[in-house]
Amino acid sequence: MTISFSANTTEEDSKMADLKSQTPTQTLDVLGRVCPYPLVLTKKALEKLPSGGILKILCDAPASAEDSLPRFAQDKGFPIEVVKLEDSWEIFIQKP
Amino acid sequence: MATKKLLFVARSLPYKTEASRLALTHAISSQSVEIYLKDGDLVEGTIAFIGDGVLNCLKNQQAMKHYGITSIEGHMKNTLLLDMKVMVCKEDLDRFGIKEDALLMDAEDIGGETNAQIVPYSEIQKEMESVDHLLFC
Repeated sequence: MTISFSANTTEEDSKMADLKSQTPTQTLDVLGRVCPYPLVLTKKALEKLPSGGILKILCDAPASAEDSLPRFAQDKGFPIEVVKLEDSWEIFIQKP
Repeated sequence: MATKKLLFVARSLPYKTEASRLALTHAISSQSVEIYLKDGDLVEGTIAFIGDGVLNCLKNQQAMKHYGITSIEGHMKNTLLLDMKVMVCKEDLDRFGIKEDALLMDAEDIGGETNAQIVPYSEIQKEMESVDHLLFC
């Protein structure tokens, strides 16, 4: 299952839709870590990411994957794509 | 846009109580609450170690070996990784005879760029007077 969020425009939607097919600039592994660590470590990683870069987050904390990370990305207007795997999530966020 | 300043004051020993661990995890959690605030509002968290609480800052803690639990060190490093201001009371370190080289002062190994600060209690007092919310743990 893939859940996507974007700011507003169709152009952004189309860019965002293929985040997971692009090579991520950085992968952040927060498997085994619970809220709030996935979010605060993601924020820190995004600060250092160059503009246009894609952060791939490996996460198995449901509250972070399904709530706080998408909410953060939406608030900031960052394109995000959430891919549900069997026991975890892959989350792709692009820094504008 | 407004910034609320919080100060968590850890006064408890690192183990056999959850107080200082809670201070650290709440301080770290405070850096995630902006997603529930109005546009642009921020929370700035600081943590200060005073009294017995300075013992939380010792490096090479052997919590797993002695108590079978995770060390406080990981939380300490994460506060520094998140660029939080970490203050350690100089007078209390002197009282215990603890030197700076025995303390966890940075988190360079996990990408942290901020260092803990050893400061006289008067600076911690000033910080207490300047924040919006003060929490003793």
